[in-house]
Amino acid sequence: MPETSTRTDGAAGEAMELWRNWLTETERQWNSFFAEVMGRDSFGRVAGSYMEAYSVVQRALNQGMERYLNTFNLPTHSDVVELGERLHNIEERLATLEANLNNLASAAGIPTTAAVTQLRPRRTRRPRTSKNESK
Amino acid sequence: MATVRQTDVNRLLDAAQTQVQKNRQRLEKGLDILLAREEPLVGVTPKDVIYSRGTLRLYHYRPMSDEVYRVPVVFVMSLVSKPFILDLTFGQSFVQYMLAQGFDVFMVDWGIPRPEDKRLKLDDYVLDFMPRCFEEVQKATGEKDYSILGYCMGGQLALMHAGLNPGAPIANMVCAATPVDMEGMGLFRHFSDRRWFDVDRLVDAVGNIPPDFMLRSFEMLRPMDRWMSYVRLLDNLWDPVFVYGYRVMYKWTNEQIPFAGEAYRQMIRELMWENKLMKNTLTLDNRRVDTKAITCPVLNVMAEHDHIAPYAATKPLTSLVSSRDTDEVVLKGGHVSLVAGKNAVGRLWPKVAEWLGERSV
Repeated sequence: MPETSTRTDGAAGEAMELWRNWLTETERQWNSFFAEVMGRDSFGRVAGSYMEAYSVVQRALNQGMERYLNTFNLPTHSDVVELGERLHNIEERLATLEANLNNLASAAGIPTTAAVTQLRPRRTRRPRTSKNESK
Repeated sequence: MATVRQTDVNRLLDAAQTQVQKNRQRLEKGLDILLAREEPLVGVTPKDVIYSRGTLRLYHYRPMSDEVYRVPVVFVMSLVSKPFILDLTFGQSFVQYMLAQGFDVFMVDWGIPRPEDKRLKLDDYVLDFMPRCFEEVQKATGEKDYSILGYCMGGQLALMHAGLNPGAPIANMVCAATPVDMEGMGLFRHFSDRRWFDVDRLVDAVGNIPPDFMLRSFEMLRPMDRWMSYVRLLDNLWDPVFVYGYRVMYKWTNEQIPFAGEAYRQMIRELMWENKLMKNTLTLDNRRVDTKAITCPVLNVMAEHDHIAPYAATKPLTSLVSSRDTDEVVLKGGHVSLVAGKNAVGRLWPKVAEWLGERSV
């Protein structure tokens, strides 16, 4: 009787396997179909027109929002970006100062790297060749 | 006959019990996903940030052995996705594997471009950020030379860096899924054809290219993938290992990052339209990127069924350099499974470790 059980389980497994294979094949066929459609010039032109419309709307929205926020004396996206740029410049200067201080410290023989990076392992490792392994 | 019936009943009961158990697990895991419970942990290999600038972070992973190869290896990530694909999760991390193999590993993470980063060009990444990172690697290791491992666009950046700095002490270069011949880019090239794609208008309007735009353009290459992945998830929802793997990959795929506007404009104009990397005519900041000046050992790793960086686009890489020591690996699978799938664990990672190990003493 266990044979019957194995046979039935096997049949169920086969059915699932068939279904999974069908799924993979369907996916492949649909992807090929879409690739063929999207590879046409006509699709390219439609997508290009969509992108153009998107860019125009986006630009109009940005400009409209900018005017709206200015009217209500609120910070605009450009204001926030400008602030970000100023912060970035400050960060850059701080980084330069830090680098210069590190250089000075290194010149004076003071360790500057983080504790973990000071745990320097030996850099002497060699690849395991078959010759090495047999030894 | 009675025995037969009894066995059949037992079998049916067993099958029913298995199904009930599977469905309970399906429900539990389904709810986990729907409610975003227990977000998978990614990029957890211990590391230190040894250099940061703007959104850029240079990580130094903590060595896993007390003896490492002399030459450190620096992973350079693409500009269009998060780097945790190379450090996914325990047992599926390229970084962790390399550490276990005795490499001193660094990673350049470009971070998520902010709106003010829209002015960043490839020139900034290649001529400014990358050399600074390599300087920091040299300082941290005390070694002059370093190996670069670039994934996808990271490989292009590595090629540009090496082509612009013939004297740079690059010990080895590994490029994984790195497209160089844009004529082989298939649908990507078609979508961005200059006859209908006005890149200037787009960049001028949006600044940085929105992550959603990037995600959709990747998905359009294989529109059915997303839907079929849901079907496969339903099929395997009872299997915690499958579900975990799915969630990790889903997280990476969907956490797309913006593309710095000016760099995107350059990518489309210089690489996609003019194919300048392939023709060896690319210039950055008025300096020629001469890939023929690259003489270090180069390993080109490609995926046979890569739909993002197709085989035809990645294959010519080794023909662009003058290195005498070049090697190629073509693996079955796609763009992501190349570095983070079963193929990667079993074939790519050992191959890269072996290839680099022999050249890193």
